Amino acid sequence: MRRGGTVDGGAGKVEYLIAGAGMSLTEKLEVLTDAAKYDVACTSSGVERKGNGRSIGNCVAAGICHSFSGDGRCISLLKILLTNECIYDCKYCRNRCSNDIPRATFTPEEVCTLTMEFYRRNYIEGLFLSSGIIKNPTFTMELICRTIWLLRNRYHFNGYVHVKGIPGAAPEVIEQTGFLVDRMSVNLELPTAEGLRVLAPNKHRKNILTPMRQIQNGIQSNRNDLVLYRNAPRFVAGGQSTQMIIGATPESDYHIINVAEGLYQKFGLKRVFYSAFVNVTGDKNLPALPGGPPLLREHRLYQADWLLRFYGFRAEELLDEKRPFFNVMLDPKEDWAVRHLEQFPVEINRAPMEMLLRVPGVGVKSAQRIVAARRSANLSFGDLKKIGVVLKRAIYFITCNGRMMYPVKLDEDYIVRHLTDKKERIQFGSDGMSYRQISLFDDENFMRPVSAAEHLQAAVGVI
Amino acid sequence: MVVYRCDISLESIFTAVYLAYEEKRVHEETMLCLTDEPIFFSEDIKVIPDVQKARKVINTLNRRFGQENYLSLCMALASEDEDAAQAVYRTIVQGLAGDISRGHLFDNLADDYVHRVFALARGVSTEIGHQKQFLRFQELENGVLYSKIGPKYDVMVFLMPHFADRLPIENFMIFDEKRNLFGIHPAGRPWYLLHGEEVELPLQMSEEELRYQELFRHFCHTITIEERMNEKLQKNMLPLRFRKYMVEFTS
Repeated sequence: MRRGGTVDGGAGKVEYLIAGAGMSLTEKLEVLTDAAKYDVACTSSGVERKGNGRSIGNCVAAGICHSFSGDGRCISLLKILLTNECIYDCKYCRNRCSNDIPRATFTPEEVCTLTMEFYRRNYIEGLFLSSGIIKNPTFTMELICRTIWLLRNRYHFNGYVHVKGIPGAAPEVIEQTGFLVDRMSVNLELPTAEGLRVLAPNKHRKNILTPMRQIQNGIQSNRNDLVLYRNAPRFVAGGQSTQMIIGATPESDYHIINVAEGLYQKFGLKRVFYSAFVNVTGDKNLPALPGGPPLLREHRLYQADWLLRFYGFRAEELLDEKRPFFNVMLDPKEDWAVRHLEQFPVEINRAPMEMLLRVPGVGVKSAQRIVAARRSANLSFGDLKKIGVVLKRAIYFITCNGRMMYPVKLDEDYIVRHLTDKKERIQFGSDGMSYRQISLFDDENFMRPVSAAEHLQAAVGVI
Repeated sequence: MVVYRCDISLESIFTAVYLAYEEKRVHEETMLCLTDEPIFFSEDIKVIPDVQKARKVINTLNRRFGQENYLSLCMALASEDEDAAQAVYRTIVQGLAGDISRGHLFDNLADDYVHRVFALARGVSTEIGHQKQFLRFQELENGVLYSKIGPKYDVMVFLMPHFADRLPIENFMIFDEKRNLFGIHPAGRPWYLLHGEEVELPLQMSEEELRYQELFRHFCHTITIEERMNEKLQKNMLPLRFRKYMVEFTS
């Protein structure tokens, strides 16, 4: 079932083998979507581009999610692999060469037609194209590049395009691709070089970081070009992102957010994505996860990630060597707050922006609104509710005009008990970590009315 | 108490605002009312929409508060809420009275009227966002893209620029079935609205259309990770009321 295919794009043609050439488009789409679905670095954000009146498509900075799949994750881009053939044998990956699964390859025309037809029906916001490695990384990257070239120049697609940078590909191809796409991502896969060596023997930390650095430098020098020439072509305008698999190797949360912080600071990444490990290959080197994927852990990491990017927290404030994992009951911000009660309560009408951002229940938007609103009025708790502050979390940490909403003890145990009381968080127990806070009032019979005999017993002792 | 009786159109409401200033009313004792409900001891004035006057108000609002804030006022009015006109009027009054720079009309959220407009505008803005996400086009036999929507608020005027910018070389139309309103975009030309026209439904779809619907349905089904199933989250993000208009949830 193999035949030769050609890609015509840019300069010259490239010939390659197509697996599953006899398959229908529906079957191919199924195989190649299935192969791409574990990649989570697939947002449609970061670029604002108006339509040009001649071609199809524009971009919205915030990104648009066009649908939501049964697992609640957004469907924003047509997320597919060009091919799921791969010469690598990464133990966690469904497409590893030693895995016996149906293989398929799209022709570039099929990718382009699908993208255009889905896009004009408003199903998707653009294309996310990744690929298994055929022949070698440079060849694969070239195929991706030519497909996107075709989409941009023959099909005149002006919407969002996100492609994977293939580690180990020649820098020239990566640069060429960068000028055609809005976002590029190189997957870090595992947080440490050690994990990579065990689970992905064909990938090396150095190979992954090299294209990442190249893209970063490309974006930087493109920015300088744009200052000089306003109409210079844009290089990866939406920035780059990456993903790490969580729970396949024994790294701690502390380790992971330190890596993330490093990536934001040293590589100028737009986003780091965390993907709870799903064991799809059943390899003996991988952990069995009887409770399902570590979703709560992934959730906590995302919360911490937001704190790093928008709330002015540093990784070592959230966790340290002695406490390397996030609290199961409290989110990272609450957890930080109850351990730093000496900085609370915060006076809403006076506190600086940086301190407002550290109050649990106050987000970036509400902090900005508080700062704007207190110029013209003295804010009360009622006003905070209007502004959108989550009072059930915030009341333990704030005062309005010197008063707290209720008499609250600034005491760690007291606040933790109230924050976790009847929490909806229990629903995150899918990874087997749900438990209840031990309380004096755990006795189920506590609310039962006292009988006459018990009154007597209490008064005179044993009857 | 003076009560200006207007209808929900922008012209009518902004004309009323113009009149209130022209006739030098005391703003605390003046109301804009969208209904005919009688109010005791009040002087009723029926507003006759005047495009010139409304235009002057719109220019002032844009100049003083900036386009973004002006659009928020329009969104609040698109909510079709009974209090919308009054809240917008008083928000404008407090904005013009104070020394407010562009883009800061909604800073004073402690004020009830300002907060009301802010909340209404946010609701409409969310609905616009949802429609941009979940609206689906179907290709008709003649190649025209057709979409049926049933939005909570009257958001058509906010949707059309988005899709006209996105699909400039397509003929498309959006039909708001709740308000019997068409937004029509002929390829390469400006879009326009059409009120209360009768159309011959059902429309005939093109041959290709069903094929792509089927492909997208397959795609949505396959992309789900079984181990992570979470229908509650899906319902939060994609409320059920949208699904009857979406190809991936109907067959």
